[in-house]
Amino acid sequence: MTKYLCLALSLYSMSTYAGTDSRLIASGGIAGFEGTAGGGITPWAFIGGYTSKEEVGYGANIQLLNLNDYTLTTAGASVSIFDRVELSIQRQKLDISAGLTSNVFSLLTDGAITNANSTTIGQDIIGAKVKIWGDGVFTQDTWVPQISIGAQHKRNRDFDTSLLLPDGSAPLPNIGVPQLLGATDNSGTDIYVSATKLWLGFPAGYNLLTNFTARFTKANSFGLLGFSSENDDSYSTELEGSLAVLISPTTAIGAEFRTQSDRLGGLAEEDTVVDVFVAYFPNKSLSITAAYVDLGNLPLQENSNGFYLTLNTNF
Amino acid sequence: MTNSKIIALFLIPLALLGCSSTTEQSLYDEIGGHKTLETVYGVAVTRIYTHPDIGHYFKGVPKRHLRDQLVTQTCELIGGPCEYDGKSMLESHQGLDIKEREFYILVEIVQGAMRDVGLTYQQENRILQKLAPIKYETINL
Repeated sequence: MTKYLCLALSLYSMSTYAGTDSRLIASGGIAGFEGTAGGGITPWAFIGGYTSKEEVGYGANIQLLNLNDYTLTTAGASVSIFDRVELSIQRQKLDISAGLTSNVFSLLTDGAITNANSTTIGQDIIGAKVKIWGDGVFTQDTWVPQISIGAQHKRNRDFDTSLLLPDGSAPLPNIGVPQLLGATDNSGTDIYVSATKLWLGFPAGYNLLTNFTARFTKANSFGLLGFSSENDDSYSTELEGSLAVLISPTTAIGAEFRTQSDRLGGLAEEDTVVDVFVAYFPNKSLSITAAYVDLGNLPLQENSNGFYLTLNTNF
Repeated sequence: MTNSKIIALFLIPLALLGCSSTTEQSLYDEIGGHKTLETVYGVAVTRIYTHPDIGHYFKGVPKRHLRDQLVTQTCELIGGPCEYDGKSMLESHQGLDIKEREFYILVEIVQGAMRDVGLTYQQENRILQKLAPIKYETINL
């Protein structure tokens, strides 16, 4: 965590010497937990950062989501090219407490093993987004949104990482948490289409942002629990949305949702994710977002909700 | 979370903002009419002419002329008693090859001027909403 923080701070100090790109403040959203610009949990059609057609910009982010026995830390970087293409790379790290892994073994062995080490699931995401239509900010004379398509290629790093007991033994060698819960693939590619519009001066003089995203995915819990299952290897269509109001030139509040496929069922049953957030954009180089996120069920933690904090820099 | 809860979550911010009263007064009258627009564009034009990146486009254009054009055009767009009869935006920007970056600089100058002159954030947004489509009459020609 400290390492990430230092990285972000050093990137931020660089950014104060770099030229600032020209698009309107807050119009780049933030880097979500999968590295793609938009809201915290869903991509927008807007290209991250503030580049115009003549500019190339860079972004870096660190994020923390605390869900009691699960803690998700992510960090990444992105490049935005000519307000047309956004490329991103993100690494996620999900820490799972020893309490939870102990319960897993206890369930599997009918109480014969009651003590296991904590574990971690890592995932890398390479993202690409291309704006294909429209200008969601300046075509205020029509309702037509800006539309982008994108892909997130995800690779789970711990699909076959053995769970360890305190004595160092691995009762289930080379079976990681995703496999244990029924996932059959360690990687997958999400494809999405996003439609985003900023409504200037509405409602009551504020600016409203609306976003809808359709995602085609095989991921279980975003890919952190692997991809596909024994009897379901086809893409499912999931819906996501963001609604945000800019209550001042530098502050946005809003809410988001994101449906999930729930292929694994059982312990790994997936619910619709919901969040409410406050994002602060003191200048074009920096944004800080705090959110309350409700993920619903995670394995052995039925009500997973908690606070999300992310720091974004553009340079 | 249940679906009804999700819907409620999304409606709350809208409902809160929808509570402000609406009046019949035009935006033009609300901000103080001609006098306010004159002040806004007085400030903006000075900043435009001295800006290192976009000032050069206005060499040879009298400040007063640009200011009048902007005032009249905005006045018309926000419900004031004006009719813009200058050259069309398309015509006057043809061949200048204005960059999108430069257009955004101008938008921020106008936003800043509105703010400095004392318009509220809400008034600024409502005016910007009317001015925004001009983007495609000035660039990509």
